[in-house]
Amino acid sequence: MPLYLPIAEISMDIFVVIAMGGIVGFLSGMFGVGGGFLMTPILIFAGVPPVVAVASQSNVITAASVSGALAHWRRQGIDIKMGLVLIAGGAVGSYFGAQAFSYLKSLGQVDLMISLVYVLFLGSIGGLMFWESLRAILRQNSGQVAPKTRREDRHKAWVYALPFKMRFRKSKLYISAILPLLIGVFVGVLSAIMGVGGGFIMIPAMIYILGMPTNVVVGTSLFQIIFVTALTTIFHSVNTQTVDIFLAALLLIGAVVGAQFGARVGFKIKGEYLRALLALLVLLVCVKMGVGLVVTPEELYSLAEVPSAGASH
Amino acid sequence: MTRAGLIYLLALATLITTVPVFGLVTDLSNKRIEIRYSFNGAELILFGAVGSSAVDPVNDIFDVVVVVRGPESATIVRRKDRVGAIWINDASLHFPAAPGYYAVAASRPLKDIALPSVFASYGIGFDNLPLIAKSEKGLFEPDPEFRAALFRLRAAEGLYRQEIDSVALVAEGLFRTDVHLPANVPVGEFLVETFVFQEGSLKARNRIRLTVDKEGFERAVYDFAHGYPLWYGLVAVLIALVAGWLAGVRGKK
Repeated sequence: MPLYLPIAEISMDIFVVIAMGGIVGFLSGMFGVGGGFLMTPILIFAGVPPVVAVASQSNVITAASVSGALAHWRRQGIDIKMGLVLIAGGAVGSYFGAQAFSYLKSLGQVDLMISLVYVLFLGSIGGLMFWESLRAILRQNSGQVAPKTRREDRHKAWVYALPFKMRFRKSKLYISAILPLLIGVFVGVLSAIMGVGGGFIMIPAMIYILGMPTNVVVGTSLFQIIFVTALTTIFHSVNTQTVDIFLAALLLIGAVVGAQFGARVGFKIKGEYLRALLALLVLLVCVKMGVGLVVTPEELYSLAEVPSAGASH
Repeated sequence: MTRAGLIYLLALATLITTVPVFGLVTDLSNKRIEIRYSFNGAELILFGAVGSSAVDPVNDIFDVVVVVRGPESATIVRRKDRVGAIWINDASLHFPAAPGYYAVAASRPLKDIALPSVFASYGIGFDNLPLIAKSEKGLFEPDPEFRAALFRLRAAEGLYRQEIDSVALVAEGLFRTDVHLPANVPVGEFLVETFVFQEGSLKARNRIRLTVDKEGFERAVYDFAHGYPLWYGLVAVLIALVAGWLAGVRGKK
């Protein structure tokens, strides 16, 4: 059943769009990532203009994250205080990231930057995560018990030495607020530039840098993603008018349902397997992006609409 | 009467006499395309008749060329070049006014109808479109490679069609052709021009207008997004929050 999308200015099949939302929602609920790094390539492949894809999917990620966060909220899996600190940083970061995005877009280099940032971050984070989870799985299979780190040892000395300490009860942490704030800024910049929620960067950062317990990591990440993607949606609406409500609504019907199933499946899978799976997925997208940069393109030329004077800022 | 007026009248008179009066009437099956939620492109029929005033259409062979031209918009064509190991958008060309839709249908292959110079003089065919590139230094003739790329990319989207559609000559000077508008057709005013050729020269031409516009809910959403972008964004976020919450509450059961 075709539906004309008024902002994307193309016609798409309703059920195909819902199914795409469902797949991404499932992964988002399962891994606690927004799923944006999958949604953007899928939508562009389906013929949606890239700017509309990036802007509309941030709206979808908001919905999927609310749905996923609720599931985690019920099992006490959100550290609200930590989330708020991350959001404060994220708001600042996404503002500056969006400025950079607009500037590079005017130079025609935004696609290149997206690809480079994807390859760089997906590659390094996916690689690290995969290695770490593989070691955990191997250790478990050989019957070894993971060396239990005492809480005091979870942090390196420099983390512990920072001022403005805050107590995060849910995460059983007493650390400087500067650290989560900076992580929030960093993720905010990347999410605005990459058009993603940033969960795949946030989760490893929370585990490996902040030392948060894994049972609150996914929920807190989703909680933070709600706010950052909501800001991004409003930002794109105001700046480029590229948020397609119809496209977003259809995708989010699929996404919210998928996220519920994904969250249930996610609870049943052991943490290290979940991380290994996510790492593989991340590496897959990274490789695809990397190949796209290096291989000689079939079509060297591309078209871009020149924005009218009113929308160029 | 002024001298200039007289010259103008004379010029007009020559124009009328040199282009033989060759009664040509055309019409479209639909002159206003409304883009609504179910829009998935449109198929129009252009039909027309050649009058019998100057030439006997039953015995004399004639050719019909129909050109449909959509609204113009500024377009940038970029070319990737290899820098080190990766491909980067490098050179670019700015076309301030490239048609968003351009289709040429003819009753025979164009090369059989008239000489290329004839088509060039009337601006028929993509190669004869007066496309100009713009830079900070001013206007200039575009690099043919970029021009070809523009045609190739738009053709791949179904927006430029040349030598694809044919005009069917039915009988007694009647002809018809189909106009294919894809779902991604730009919104605006279209011009449908019909040219009648005989023995390699133009005998008659006429033009009719076609409007493509968003209607109803699609129009309202588009206007809302562009007129009140902040509120549009807030509504979009609200929808997402409610949808996510509803799904989350339902998921508990």
